[in-house]
Amino acid sequence: MFNYTFQWGQALKNLPRLLEGSLVTLQIAVLSMVMGIAFAVILAVARNSKSRLISAPATAWVEVARNTPALFQIYMAHFGLGQFGIYLSPYVALLAGITFNNAGYLAETFRGALRAIPATQTRAGRSLGMGPIKAFRLIIMPQMFRIAFLPTTNQMVWAILMTSLGVTVGMNTDLAGITQEINVRSFRTFEIFALAAVIYYLIAKFVTICARLLAWRMFRY
Amino acid sequence: MTRSILIAGLMAATTLGSAAYADKLDDIMASGTLRCAVVLDFPPMGSRDKDNNAVGFDVDYCNDLAKALGVTAEIVETTFPDRIPALVSGRVDVGVASTSDTLERAKTAGFTIPYFAFTNVVLARKEANIADFDGLKGHTVGSVGGTYEGIALEKNVKEWGSGDFRPYQNQADVFLALSQGQIDATVVTSTVASAIVATGNYPNLEIKGDAPYLPDYVGLIALRNEYGLLNYLDLFINQQVRSGRYQELFEKWVGGEAPDLTVKKVYR
Repeated sequence: MFNYTFQWGQALKNLPRLLEGSLVTLQIAVLSMVMGIAFAVILAVARNSKSRLISAPATAWVEVARNTPALFQIYMAHFGLGQFGIYLSPYVALLAGITFNNAGYLAETFRGALRAIPATQTRAGRSLGMGPIKAFRLIIMPQMFRIAFLPTTNQMVWAILMTSLGVTVGMNTDLAGITQEINVRSFRTFEIFALAAVIYYLIAKFVTICARLLAWRMFRY
Repeated sequence: MTRSILIAGLMAATTLGSAAYADKLDDIMASGTLRCAVVLDFPPMGSRDKDNNAVGFDVDYCNDLAKALGVTAEIVETTFPDRIPALVSGRVDVGVASTSDTLERAKTAGFTIPYFAFTNVVLARKEANIADFDGLKGHTVGSVGGTYEGIALEKNVKEWGSGDFRPYQNQADVFLALSQGQIDATVVTSTVASAIVATGNYPNLEIKGDAPYLPDYVGLIALRNEYGLLNYLDLFINQQVRSGRYQELFEKWVGGEAPDLTVKKVYR
């Protein structure tokens, strides 16, 4: 049976280091979301384009990002590009991998949101004398973000959890990296992993609650 | 009369009680299978041949152990960080996995006397112009995280205050990163370094002298409280050396004189 005595003291001793790692985790997640959203807006618009030259690359990005494992995408950013002499540090590779993944998923979320906005809205804007870009920026985009806001926070949580894949490319400063380092050093696997899981849970919960509060402030009529 | 019945009953209870207690060693003999955790991306200690069979020093060692116990061996592949979870969750009985016997780890797992000892060497890319261990200063280096040499190298990099250390999850990724140029050098056990250079798959890697670390003594691991098993393993290791089998296996997989497993001026 389970032949093991839990020693929580050993794990808790490392709590300050784990919390330091949590900050790095949060930082990567936030950066990857900011960049992911920017790319996703471009991808969503590009996918709706009539020109194949514009829509095809966007579709390819979305297809690969959504239909391959995030682990594969991060691994490719580090070792795949390394094969061609492009060296991304573990931090950058992890950030690039998650951004790529975020952009793919969010592009679909945004595309769905765009579909939900009646085309007459654009026409109304244009009839007021706005150019197509201005109409998109001032009328369509704010509505798109409102519709897509909660699914976007979902992706944010997913981004936080995906940072744990960084250990496969040698990331050692984020929560998962520090967890793994303490684990191999002390062999206190169960305690350390349990502690890390609790921290991941709290970060994710914190982000979800913040997003709810923000949505309540921003989107009430 | 009542007293003698009572005593007889107590005696029966104690005999039954002790008979019902079977330790891990009993379990292994009863089940007829010895399950060993072996790391199979760590040649020549453990790897896979072209038919995907597990081979290596550790694999042979496990087979010898199973033979001594009169059971069949089952090799369970694990990664380095996975060894303890495999042991604790009962997926394996013994770790024959080149586990460095640090005091920190001994708080969790039970270690035998050393069954092997590694020396560490610098393995570097030719283009990096690293002549020896001191030449690593300022370079980006990497190793398998949490291993004996990985921990030592990370400490060195911190002390030097320049360069960068990257821990990878397994030996294969270290060599991949090294051959691509993501890192300039690694510190790795001499046996692995010679095995990798000998494959010819990495023509741009060269061994650049020893790393100034103490010999890395590695033990077999079992659950900390399984003294019956740990005692047996200690004696088994002793017999392997005594019978010359240790030297024989070393010649088969590494070549040359097998490393001394004793430490001067102290018992173990």
